[in-house]
Formats: sequence, C-alpha cells, structure tokens
Amino acid sequence: MESVEKPRVRVVGEEKVKIKKSFVKPWMGIKYLFKKPVTIKIPFEEIEPAPKYRGFHTLNWKTCVGCNFCGQICPARAIEMTWIEVDGKVEKRPHPKVDYGRCTFCQFCVDVCPTGALGFTENFYLTTGGLEEDLELYDWVPIHPDKVRELNEKFGDYRFPVERIEKKEDGTHIYHLRDGSTIEFKILGYGLRPPAAARPKPAAKPAPKPAEKKEAPKPAAKAGKPAEKPAEKKEEPKAEEKKE
Amino acid sequence: MIDWKLVLEVIGILIYATFMGFIFMGIERKAMARIQRRVGPPIYQPIIDTLKLLGKKESVTHGFIYDFGPVFAMGASIAALLFLPIANFQLFSSNADLIVVAYMLEVPMLGIMLGAMSSGNPYSAVGVQRGLLTMVAMQLPYGLALIALIQHWGTFKLGEIVALQQTQGWSITVPALLLAFIVFDIVFQALLGLEPFDIITAPAEISMGPMVEYGGKHAALLFTQHAIQLFAETAFFAILFLGGASNLLELLIKQIAVLFIAIFVASIYPRFTIDQAAKFFWKWPTILGIIAVLLTV
Repeated sequence: MESVEKPRVRVVGEEKVKIKKSFVKPWMGIKYLFKKPVTIKIPFEEIEPAPKYRGFHTLNWKTCVGCNFCGQICPARAIEMTWIEVDGKVEKRPHPKVDYGRCTFCQFCVDVCPTGALGFTENFYLTTGGLEEDLELYDWVPIHPDKVRELNEKFGDYRFPVERIEKKEDGTHIYHLRDGSTIEFKILGYGLRPPAAARPKPAAKPAPKPAEKKEAPKPAAKAGKPAEKPAEKKEEPKAEEKKE
Repeated sequence: MIDWKLVLEVIGILIYATFMGFIFMGIERKAMARIQRRVGPPIYQPIIDTLKLLGKKESVTHGFIYDFGPVFAMGASIAALLFLPIANFQLFSSNADLIVVAYMLEVPMLGIMLGAMSSGNPYSAVGVQRGLLTMVAMQLPYGLALIALIQHWGTFKLGEIVALQQTQGWSITVPALLLAFIVFDIVFQALLGLEPFDIITAPAEISMGPMVEYGGKHAALLFTQHAIQLFAETAFFAILFLGGASNLLELLIKQIAVLFIAIFVASIYPRFTIDQAAKFFWKWPTILGIIAVLLTV
C-alpha cells in the first residue's frame, strides 16, 4: 500500500539555488534607465476596473422584499433595514441601508439576496471632506442599477453616483445625483418592525420613541428566522399597543 | 577698500550653486526613479520641497546649539564652495586651498551632528555615532587619494592643478591617478551620503539618523546646505580629476557626469552596515590608495 511507503521528498541541492556574489552583475540594473517607465499616470490615464469588480451596491426598490437576509449575513453589520416613504406612499417592506463606514465590500449580501434586488456595480471612487454633511454620503439606501449605469455612461469615472445627501428635519432625504437629478424620499424608521407611521391601519398614535426602535430589531433578528417574519410582523404591532 | 567685483561674483556664484545644487538633487531623484522604472518627480521638486518647508508655521527647537548646527553646516559648505576655482572665477583661491576645501567638505557633517546631538533623540545619537565612524573610516583612502594627486602635480593650489591639467591632460589619464580616481570615487559616495555608504541617514534602519528631529525651517536649511554641498563636491571632483573647466557649461557637464556615476552606484548597490563599511574603507580603497601614492613618488 502506498500509505506505508516512505514519502518521497524531493530536495533541490543547495549548490543549485545558491547564487554567486558579484560586483559587476548589479550594473545590469542600469538598463532600465532608458526604458519606458511602467507607470499609469492616473489623472491623465484611466484604468478600467475588472468587470464585476466589487464596488458600491445597487438596489431595485420595486423587487426588494425586505427579508433582511442581507442584514443577517453581513459580516460587518453594515446593513440596517430602513422604512421608506416615497412620494407620500409607504413602501410595504423595509429596504437595506448600507453604511460604507463599515462595509467590507465582500458582497455576501448580493449573493444571498433571494430576489436579486441587491446588486453591485464597478464604481469604487468615494472621497469626501471631513464635514458632517459630507460624511452623510457614506450611509445610503442604494439606488436603482439602471440609474447608476446611466451615470457611468455619462461620466465613465466610476465615482459614487450620489454627489450630496441633503437631510431635512422631518427625515426627508434628498439624494443629489451627479447629473443634477434628485431622488427624494422620507425615512420613517429603522429595523424590522414597521414604525408607527408605516403601519397600514391608521394607528393615531404619537410617533414611537427612537430608543425603543433601536432596541427592537436585534432580538427580532436573532429570534425570528426570516421565513417567519410575516407572522412576526402581524404580531408586533399588537405587542406595542399593549405596552403603550 | 571693498572689491566690488569679487563681492558680486561671490553672490552670483552662491545663487548659481544653490540653484544648480537643487537641480542636481532633482536629477538624482529623477534618474533613480527611471532606473526603478518609475516616472519620478519633476526635476525642480527639491526647490518646491524647500519652499514648502520654509512655509511651515512651527519649528521645534531644542536650544541654541540645535539651531546653530545647520547654520554652521551651511556656512562650512559655502566656505568650501568659495575656495573652489569654479570655471574662470578664482574667488578666495589662495595657497594650499586644496587642503582647505578637502577639510571644509567634511565640516558640514560635523555641524549637522553638533545640532543633532543637542536634540537628545536616541535615533540622532545612533546616527551621529554611525556618521562619525564613517567619517573616520573614509579619511584614510580620502587622504591617500589627495596625497597621490598632490605628489603628482606638485602643488596644493587648485587653480594650478586645473592649469596643469589643461596643458598636460586630465588627471585620470595618468595611470597612478586613475587609481586615485577610483579611490576618490568610492569616498565620494560617502561624502555625498549616497547608497552604499548612506549609513548616516539610513532611511529604513534608523529613521533619517541625525536629521530625525529637524523639521520645518531647519530642514529647509539642511536641504539648501545639501544642495550647495552637492554642487561643491561635484565641482571639487571635476576640478581634481576631470581637468577643471574654463566656463560654467563645461563644468556643469563634468559635474553631471560625476553625479551620474554616483547615482548609478547608489541605485544598484545596497547599503553597507557600519562595520562592513569601516572594514571596506580600510581594505580595498586603502590598498589602491597606497599603490597610487607609491606610483607617484
């Protein structure tokens, strides 16, 4: 049997790998003096990122079902589910909000997304100043892939598609895209449970306290598997009513 | 009575030397970059660096000697420069100016070390220790090369050496002085603080050696000093071995030729450790120097 035999290890003789020292041979290095430098002059020359380079996310808001698979698999916990109101209409399910301060661009969230709503583009440039309003850029609900593609065709420099995020007192966020158009929506709350404003029935209650909301999603995410979520959601509003 | 012509010449040469010294530093960086297949900074980069350093708001100081060190070094470089017969300008040239220049080119290192030691930084102390050992080690071949030269031409005057070379051919065409040239070129590498013997600054081992503490305006002063010293040293080399020059352009070409040898050597050989450097200096260059001296007797 082979396992009984001695393992044959091939050793290359030391005399073969040992290099003779020389005073003259280093002068061979001079030959590069007259060769063309192998540098890419970045402001003047462009480099194409690889196709499917793992860059910023895109999200189709219509097909996202708010299952929170992405939030669960995210190793950096950069994804938080967000309740969004577009044009006065509340989205039925929460959408992921990606925090690029934490994101490692592993794109596990894209692989795990059951409906393919979460995707990614090759865009990778994002530089801002240090001001509070500049740093808002790092925390966004990804926008539709077609829009990003359109911007890429227009500019072709693979920068972050949003130029500036304007935040208003009542939770309205306005994304100023690079071509001048805007996307406006309102963030009602975070987490898996729908906030008071997002409830389908007119609840007629004061807005839920923020402290409660922040605590709420964690136990929900731990305890409930995503498949059970619809049932959970039905129950939760009642629970809240009881508390209050 | 003030010799106005001399004053103007001195000021002109100083400005020219500083500017060209910076350009030499730029050439050095550019050529090294090209050997490493990089594009490198523009050739006027050291000037920008120095201006930036001069524009710094704060300068750390550790007392009078700390400030005095770079000034002392700069003064020594300027003195060395002014004793050289640059092209057809015989500025302060006098009897035995070869010895003066050879000595003055060593003094800047002492000045830097004087300032560095007063900063109390252990990195500076290590750098100074290495620097002094390198200086001690390189004196022997340096002196031997100069002795061979002096014995062959029979004069201590740089002006006369240049004149003799104009009539009897350059120093390197004489076999004995060719040996001295090789010795001097090895020592030159240490004088410039370039790669095989840049033990003093050793950027990767001890962060910048004696110059760790220097920043802002002190560093700008040291940059300027290095520029002047680079010019003076290359000019000294060209005068001793390449036949001097009758005009500034000829001198410039010879200086750049000398500089390129130094750059090539610097970009292909790795750094010696301090003990290796001392052993090396007292072995091959010394042997060659002694042979050169014996041949010229």
